[in-house]
Amino acid sequence: MTTHNEHIEHTDTPSNMKAQIWKTFWILLALTLVDIAFYFVIPHSTLRNWIFILLGIVKAFYIVGIFMHMKFEKKFLQKVIILPMGLVVYMIILILIEGVFTDTVRNLLP
Amino acid sequence: MANTATLTDRRTQWGGGKSPFNISYGKLMMWIFLVTDAFTFSSLLTAYGFIRHSFSGNTETPWPSPDVVFNHFPFLHGVHLPLMFVSLMTFILIFSSVTMVLAVEAGHRMAKKEVVKYMFYTILGGLAFLGCQAWEWTQFIIGSEQGRTLADGTIIHGANLAINEYGPVAFADLFFIVTGFHGFHVFSGVVLNIIILFQTMDGVFEKRGHYEMVEKVGLYWHFVDLVWVFVFTFFYLI
Repeated sequence: MTTHNEHIEHTDTPSNMKAQIWKTFWILLALTLVDIAFYFVIPHSTLRNWIFILLGIVKAFYIVGIFMHMKFEKKFLQKVIILPMGLVVYMIILILIEGVFTDTVRNLLP
Repeated sequence: MANTATLTDRRTQWGGGKSPFNISYGKLMMWIFLVTDAFTFSSLLTAYGFIRHSFSGNTETPWPSPDVVFNHFPFLHGVHLPLMFVSLMTFILIFSSVTMVLAVEAGHRMAKKEVVKYMFYTILGGLAFLGCQAWEWTQFIIGSEQGRTLADGTIIHGANLAINEYGPVAFADLFFIVTGFHGFHVFSGVVLNIIILFQTMDGVFEKRGHYEMVEKVGLYWHFVDLVWVFVFTFFYLI
């Protein structure tokens, strides 16, 4: 007798899930170490910041894809969850332009 | 009757009685919640970006480099070790994410003992992370021994919501709200994990026939790890 009446549907989980989990762990660890190495090796620059953001997005894809099982879900669910994040990119672009503008205005003030 | 049957077939997924996303209601709602939570964290981090950029030409109180602020490590007093402690925190959180996903995997096989084991490790990881964060906050609040001398001659040490030894007060405010909000998420996650651990030990999910609750709290836990990846990037690397 189940207490829930909802029907549990399983999306395909690969048979080698355990191996995939550990592979993802090593990739995340390696990317974090690359972050730290770049921090000490490359001097501070805009390019370095973009490299860090790019590596962060790569890490996000592995966490969402494997750990959160998104890679094995239906295409439609993937779109519903991931596409709204495009709005964040739009917001970041607007806000950073506005930030530089605010700096300019501040410097103009006596 | 035959007609209605073909009509439902034609409507395929959206005809009702079947999840079009092929996942349960609870998991779908967890995903929707996580999207909204991602927007909240994005707002906080873009606010950080905005205020930081608005300080880019400020030479009086320049935005501090994380090198100078976060260079401590427990038991190594006075040694300049930038990024090391926060890297350890990142490692702890990633590893607790791994034990969480292993608990989910064990749940698929109905292996109760393994679920209990991995949930326990996940909780330990979460508590270790919270401990590290408390230490990090303490270092930031206490500040350095020399402190900073203001124009009127007063010396300030460390940071709180009103003063900041290392740079603009806005930096301290943003640090406390963003890492604090994330830390509160970790704390909530630990509480949820403890509840699920006790329910697993009671055999609630074994009776229910599936370990889907472990998957739901797992989604939340991985999301917390995901947010930390970006907090780490924006506060400590850039």
